[in-house]
Amino acid sequence: MINSLRKLKTPLLILICCLLGVGAGTGNVSAESAADSYNYSYWGDAVAVPAAYVATEWISGSDLGTGPFQEPSDLHVAADNRVYVLDSGNNRIVVLDRDLKLVSTVDSFTREGKPDTFLQPQGIFVTDDGDVLVADTGNKRVVHLDADFQLVKIIDSPESELLQDSFKFEPVRVVMDHAQRIYVMAGGVFDGFMEFNAEGAFTTFIGANRVYIDPIEYFWKQISTKAQRSQMVMFTPTEFTNLDIDSEGFIYATNGDQWGNNIKKLNAQGSDILRRTGYSDPQGDILYISSEGPSKLIDIDVTDSEIYSVLDGKRGRVFTYNGDGHLMYVFGGLGNQLGQFHTPAAIDRIGEDFLVLDKALGEITVFRTTEYGRTLNEAVKSYYRGEEETAFALFNRTIAMNANLDFAYAGIGKALLRQGDYKDAMKHFKRSLDQKNYSKAFLLYRKEVMREHFPVIMTMLFLAGIGIFAAARLRKVKERRKGASA
Amino acid sequence: MSRDWIRFPLNLMVHPFEGYWDLKYDRNRQFTLIISFCVLFLVAVTNILGSQYSGFLVHVYNPETMNSFMEIVYVIVPVLFWCVANWSLTTLMDGEGKFVEIFTSTCFALLPLVIIQFPWIWLSNLVSLQETAFYYFSNSVAVLWFVYLLFIGNMTVHQFSPSKTIGIMMLTLVAMGFMAFISLLFFSLVQQIVAFISVIYQELVMRT
Repeated sequence: MINSLRKLKTPLLILICCLLGVGAGTGNVSAESAADSYNYSYWGDAVAVPAAYVATEWISGSDLGTGPFQEPSDLHVAADNRVYVLDSGNNRIVVLDRDLKLVSTVDSFTREGKPDTFLQPQGIFVTDDGDVLVADTGNKRVVHLDADFQLVKIIDSPESELLQDSFKFEPVRVVMDHAQRIYVMAGGVFDGFMEFNAEGAFTTFIGANRVYIDPIEYFWKQISTKAQRSQMVMFTPTEFTNLDIDSEGFIYATNGDQWGNNIKKLNAQGSDILRRTGYSDPQGDILYISSEGPSKLIDIDVTDSEIYSVLDGKRGRVFTYNGDGHLMYVFGGLGNQLGQFHTPAAIDRIGEDFLVLDKALGEITVFRTTEYGRTLNEAVKSYYRGEEETAFALFNRTIAMNANLDFAYAGIGKALLRQGDYKDAMKHFKRSLDQKNYSKAFLLYRKEVMREHFPVIMTMLFLAGIGIFAAARLRKVKERRKGASA
Repeated sequence: MSRDWIRFPLNLMVHPFEGYWDLKYDRNRQFTLIISFCVLFLVAVTNILGSQYSGFLVHVYNPETMNSFMEIVYVIVPVLFWCVANWSLTTLMDGEGKFVEIFTSTCFALLPLVIIQFPWIWLSNLVSLQETAFYYFSNSVAVLWFVYLLFIGNMTVHQFSPSKTIGIMMLTLVAMGFMAFISLLFFSLVQQIVAFISVIYQELVMRT
């Protein structure tokens, strides 16, 4: 016994070393991907995925040589990749170039020959031509400057019969579309966004949120006296929390709705046209502790190819969805490390990278794509552009890096369907649990099989028919004979 | 006689009045009991195979939550609950049926669920999304047929009038709810008693 053990000693030692080595190896891997990078599966479970974005650096006002930011509340990346940071506490705009180096700071503009300044501005927007719009909240106005920061117009004290006399105009966020229409999200307004025409005159409200009535609250209200009722909260629609506009002029908006859709895509009429064909509706986190509640989205950014990202102020996470409503990736969080925030306030994309502005720390965190993130972005974009071949290759590379990305299989399946490989397409649609497309592929496959085997099937049916007929005949004959003999 | 094993239940399906009368008065008890258990077994098998092999377009299933044992439980427990509840009620309300008769009549009524759903496990793999309507339609037919047979069975076994049978069936459902509630209560109490005893045992062990 002992001898045999001794003989086995060397192989045993090697085996133990190997096992330890394997254990050590996996330990390292899991430590590397331990960042809270996850995605939601069809079943609503959080599954581990590789990180699509990693934080590489952070930039503060003192790094730029402008002095520290004070409560910066918004940032915007222009079409030429210049970054406009709205430093609210210092009442100024800080402009950075694409390498995040300081270009200029703007803290005043000329109005009728006299210098004018901002007061606690909250929102900034830069058009494709470089025009700058500032929601100058403290001064209750929207300031429209051109690319050289010369005043174009000022919008203040809007007048309309839609507005009450006591209405106070407090713009918080602002965007402008190609037709020079300006949409303003104003504080204390529950009727949606305020729309101004090119001349700066108030025209209408668009996209009001629905009122949600809490049944319990409603019950109490019904049995209360008038005096009590006046002390209770009113049922009012939720306010929007932020907005962005895409190149086609659709407004993407977030709101604090707990029960309804907290992300909306508004068309010119103000109706919600966001596609929600993903495994779950775009809403931030699906799984959460009930004491914490759902995500509170505070900023939204839309890039090309209908990809949009929302920022969850409660947990500091950035969720990115594609145009169909599939969650692409999640990153960020609250904490003290690089890549985590204290009070995130705004996000925007600079090229492929993300900038997240932290209000309390006065810092901008830069997130850069990983190999995985780049491949996935490019795959979704080429699919959107209709380049099936490229999308096919890229989605294949994506799932090689992350087999848990269910919706990527549908992308591959669609390319296979186009190529005429129905059986493989079916397999991929099944993996992405896409019944509609599976059915499409299946119909084509069934037709193909039927056509191929039609002669065989028909022959078999014909033979079976003859067989049954003959058997019935034979039985009858036999019975007659029996009857005759009896 | 050997042909009767198959012919009798199938005949009962299409001629329930005649069939259930035979079941109660003319047939051998052992014969009907064996068929009943066979039907119950087939329903369980249909259930398991259905959850595993039904077409992707009619049934998206998560392999992680699939449990064959539970699929069997889902068949047997409701049938037992139904029989016990029905028996308890009808003994009080002048039903003529014995427990065995209630059990066999219930099991025979389950037969359409097997006959119709079993082929559809495979057929559902050969239909497109538009054609799944047929699948859902035949499933509903199976369930309606089952309810109809259950109704006739109950009526014949207990010799009730139709309206009284309907009332008894409703009451049976309510009684099943009560039974489920009481069993849950019982199990949760037993669990707590076990936990309590184990804590006391631990205390004693730690003390010495």
